[in-house]
Amino acid sequence: MDSRFVIGIDLGTTNCALAYADTAAMGADPALPPVSVLGIAQLVHPGEVRAEPLLPSALLLPGPADFPAGSVALPWDGADGQVIGRLALRRGAELAGKLVSSAKSWLCHAGVDRTAPILPWTAAPGVRRLSPVEASRLYLEYLRQAWDHAMPEAPFASQQVLVTVPASFDAVARDLTQRAAEQAGYRQVTLLEEPQAAFYAWIERHPGWRERVTVGDLILVVDIGGGTTDFTLIAVTERAGELALERVAVGDHILLGGDNMDLALARLVEAELAQAGRKLDAMQLQALWHNCRAAKEKLLDPESGVDEEPVTILGRGSGLVGGVIKAKLKRADVGRVLLDGFFPEVSSQEEPRRARRVALQEMGLPYAADPAVTRHLARFLRQQASQAEHGAVRRGASGLATPTHVLFNGGVLHAPLVRERLLAVLNSWLAAEGAAPARLLEGEDLMQAVARGAAYYGLARRGKGVRIRGGVPRTYYVGIESALPAVPGLPNPLKALTVAPFGMEEGTQARVPGPEFGLTVGEPAEFRFFSSASRKNDELGALIEEVGDDIEELSPIEVTLPASEGGGPLTPVTLETVVTETGVLQLWCVARDGRRWKLEFNVRERIG
Amino acid sequence: MGRLGLAIKSFWAILRTGALPDEVVQRLGLARRGPAKAAPAAAQAGPAEGALQMLGILQRDARLIDFLMEDIAAYSDDQVGAAVRSVHQQCREALNRYVQLAPVIDGVEGTFTKLAGIELTAVKLVGNVPPQPPPGGVLRHRGWRGVKVDLPPLGAKTNLSVVAPAEIEIE
Repeated sequence: MDSRFVIGIDLGTTNCALAYADTAAMGADPALPPVSVLGIAQLVHPGEVRAEPLLPSALLLPGPADFPAGSVALPWDGADGQVIGRLALRRGAELAGKLVSSAKSWLCHAGVDRTAPILPWTAAPGVRRLSPVEASRLYLEYLRQAWDHAMPEAPFASQQVLVTVPASFDAVARDLTQRAAEQAGYRQVTLLEEPQAAFYAWIERHPGWRERVTVGDLILVVDIGGGTTDFTLIAVTERAGELALERVAVGDHILLGGDNMDLALARLVEAELAQAGRKLDAMQLQALWHNCRAAKEKLLDPESGVDEEPVTILGRGSGLVGGVIKAKLKRADVGRVLLDGFFPEVSSQEEPRRARRVALQEMGLPYAADPAVTRHLARFLRQQASQAEHGAVRRGASGLATPTHVLFNGGVLHAPLVRERLLAVLNSWLAAEGAAPARLLEGEDLMQAVARGAAYYGLARRGKGVRIRGGVPRTYYVGIESALPAVPGLPNPLKALTVAPFGMEEGTQARVPGPEFGLTVGEPAEFRFFSSASRKNDELGALIEEVGDDIEELSPIEVTLPASEGGGPLTPVTLETVVTETGVLQLWCVARDGRRWKLEFNVRERIG
Repeated sequence: MGRLGLAIKSFWAILRTGALPDEVVQRLGLARRGPAKAAPAAAQAGPAEGALQMLGILQRDARLIDFLMEDIAAYSDDQVGAAVRSVHQQCREALNRYVQLAPVIDGVEGTFTKLAGIELTAVKLVGNVPPQPPPGGVLRHRGWRGVKVDLPPLGAKTNLSVVAPAEIEIE
């Protein structure tokens, strides 16, 4: 039986949100029940719990001396294990090396073991550490408990739940998110891509959306969150005489977001203060960051009409006035740093700058080397050029994908200045292609749209709304070493076997045509695993002779055939691909007699 | 004088003199027993607790006590102004969050206002006041009324006498 509530969870890099639809409120009214946002009860100060619309994705691992005893108990749990939310963010700024933040960005970082306790990355000695999966699990568990506290009559575990992930998350990161949700006690969980969720939220708010788009339109969703930037293209097609929606492209994972922009502004003010001989300590820098964000929001608000905002850092000790540090943030500076730094006017031919390869790179998150969102967008739209098969993606004279509509999502795109610039740059490209300017689809509620859209999608899955057809957002390959005589000093050339073509639909499975692999029983067999966001015409079983730059290596996948299964020491198997109803990609080894073993992602392995 | 009136009166008296006013002491049936002995810890927050808690909040969120206790005579208006903007904004946010305030008389200052239907304890008559309450007068100050106080619950071990904890940085 369908659950009464449909819960949508935006598990964000910097903030989480939870929205829900109450199907019992539907009644005879054919209109969909409104989607509501749950206030998430959280500690805001020691001993003070308040419900807020967003839960900061911040997790503090306090020591015994960091809070007065009993002051961080929650209404549903008296244990003082970890603190999540507003208070964690606040107190974490004062406590070095005890705050876990951006856990989600670590979840899709293939350069580290994502199940090993590595966070906080710069943990103080003796501080407990968590794995990125564990941190995500704790956020999800917290949201479950907050729901159960607020809605005791409708247990979370019996509701339908949708959790959003960036469209750019690869199969491994999706698998880890799913795993974290299951460990957090989620029973019926489905993953959904964030830009799609943002588009569902727009549909939810515009029941007459069918009048605003026509067959052949192409909708670009730009989602700039606190820590990540995500692009998606959705095509409007026709199916059995009805308008249908198809997600036709997703971008690469770009670690670049609003936090980077606020930090850039803080650095600007810090540099000005340094020139005047004022040096700031770590905590004053935190305050500066915070105040710069507030000042930026004021300056970017078209109704405020001010040209500069004071940024004040009060004296640290009780000498508040005596130690005050004054600085100013000018509207012109904000415009310059944001627009020229992050949204420069570039041509659609420009590529994001690549990072210089440094032999010894400091470990940490692989932030985008080029902060220019517009260059990343140009690359994304141009990537679509090489695909001739997808007629649904409309393209201009040079092959650039030419969207007809744009939907913005994420806090950064609140600012009209930023929206206007991004739209102007896009339209300059479209003009060069001879295409009409793109129209803006006005979204509302940019902070909660993803959670709202996820709840709407839950209803759509029950046949109560339109669904975007998407399938697997990338093409996946396993590596096969060619059987050539080895050349000393050179690795054997690698070929890639297509195991999941782009767009393979949820709830389908297919045997991969091609070679049989001989697996030794009782020993782990490992396959190298690759994906590509731009190669969309490789069919199932196609063998790619040259693995180029457009194919990216992921964590390897492995399987161990139990020795007790009988048969010879070498079992010939073929591969089978399954995309579950909930959108999870699985690879299976199938023996000739029909026995099957699932291939697991080996996230413990590091990729060179 | 309701609980809020008591709390606010206590608040300002403590702020100015460091002690509860006689009026509050009498009304609550308290006795002054020397500085060392505070009122016994009550299960429910009394006015002194409420006042200290409010002070603690204003210090925590806006650093009001730091500001009021600092000798600002030596600093330029410019410097004081920069600090005040920050303290003022955060005090206001904290006040709005925990206390709901509304004018006693929601009228336009400087205009004639009828007194009918308004409790006299909420109005201060000034100027040429006759022996009998007049029908009305010119509104000079709209007054403030605490509509609701929504302070967070206190833990059993909360030490309210610490308005702001000392900070020690471990380097």
